[in-house]
This record gives sequence, structure tokens and C-alpha cells, in this order.
Amino acid sequence: MAWNGQVATGPVELNMDLVRGDESPTEITRLAYGMEMSLGNFYQTMGQRMEDKEVIELLSQLASIEEKHKQYLLEMLRSIEHAEVDQAALESDISTTILEGGFDTDEFITKNEEFMRTVTGLLDVAMMLEAQALDLYLRFAEKIESGDATEILYKIGDEEKGHLAALGRLREEKM
Amino acid sequence: MLKKIKQLFEPVKSVSVDEAREFLQEHEEGTFTLLDVRQPKEYDQGHIPGSKLIPLPQLTDSLDQLDPEKPVVAY
Repeated sequence: MAWNGQVATGPVELNMDLVRGDESPTEITRLAYGMEMSLGNFYQTMGQRMEDKEVIELLSQLASIEEKHKQYLLEMLRSIEHAEVDQAALESDISTTILEGGFDTDEFITKNEEFMRTVTGLLDVAMMLEAQALDLYLRFAEKIESGDATEILYKIGDEEKGHLAALGRLREEKM
Repeated sequence: MLKKIKQLFEPVKSVSVDEAREFLQEHEEGTFTLLDVRQPKEYDQGHIPGSKLIPLPQLTDSLDQLDPEKPVVAY
């Protein structure tokens, strides 16, 4: 029987230039926070461009999941830095041109907007993004030298894996 | 060295796709190695997220890239 679960595509080196290898746990958590934030913003932006009510609702739901991931990472960052990290200040330092999974936001919209006009198409795109994100975080873990930072990437990977499984169940329901 | 020798005697088990999926879902990331032994082009076209690529012809020379303490799921 062939594998019919989630797949990621692209070479091992894809988007690996986003990390140097010597990042600290703080740097890795901030990087991940930025990618979650970009994806959340992306879903919100797409929600304003769509017309189908169910699609708009799903985009809002997807954006709120990214918000939860952000909160998870913010708590993690506070625990690592042993300090109160100001969320607004943190977000002001972040560029949102790179989506979770390493995609360029504008390029991604151009290529995928048409697929996102139906609920099933949108779920397929969301699952593809999560699969790429999971793969990228785990490839980062291979490159990162700090054991603590690697452990953080594994934890983020577990979060993404859970999210992907939930999207898969939702996709099954909508078939 | 002893670990590598011990590894030679570890049992190898074939599992179904469903069993593999269940294993991946139930185990935390970082506690196992997911090994893709296909060719790079096949990996590029689609791989299970988080797979480590070591094509079969290079495997014997790359065993030091595998953690002997972790179970390996190879495909």
C-alpha cells in the first residue's frame, strides 16, 4: 500500500538559508514566531479577498489557530528569557514576507489564490503549508547545533504535527 | 563502536503504511529517525515531512549520521 499521508516537497536545502546553524533557543523561537505570525496575517488577508461565507469562516478559524501557536511560542520565549516579553515590541521587529514553511507571501498568493476559493481547496492549501512547515522545522533541527534550540524545534514540530492531523480530519469530513 | 556492533543485531521489522502512520503520530519528534533511502529526485518530488535523506547507495558510509539510541523508520 502506498503512503497517502501528508507529503512535503523540495530538496533538502530548500529554505535552509533561513538559519545559520548557531542560533540560540531565543533566536529560533523568534524565527518560528515570525513564521506563525506571517501565516496568521496571510489567512486574515485572504479572508478579506474571498466571497464564499464558508471559506471566509474557515480562513478566520485557521488564523485563530496560528494565533494560538503564537501564544504558545510567546510563553516559550518568556520562559527561555526568564522575562516578560512584550508582544507588540516582538511583532514590530518581525518581517512578514516569509510564510511558515518558508514561502514568499506575495508569490504564494499569486500561485495559490484560485485554489483557496473552495473549502476543500483551502484545506488542501493549508495542509500543504503545514506539511512544509513541519518539514522545515525538522530540517532546521538537523542543522542547529544547540541542543536546547533543537529541542524547541522538536516541540514546535509536535505542535505542527497535531495541527496537520486536525486539518486532515476536517478535510475528511468535508469530502 | 560497541553501539554500532549491537545495532547490527537489532531486529528489523517491516510495518504497514497504517502502522507507520500510527507510529509517527504517537511518537514525539526527536525520539525517532525517519529515514528516506530513495534517490534525491524522489525526495524532492515528495517525502514524509521530517525525513532525513540518505540514499541507499550512501547508507553504509553514512551510518554515523544516525543516532544509534533512536529507532529508525526507513522507507
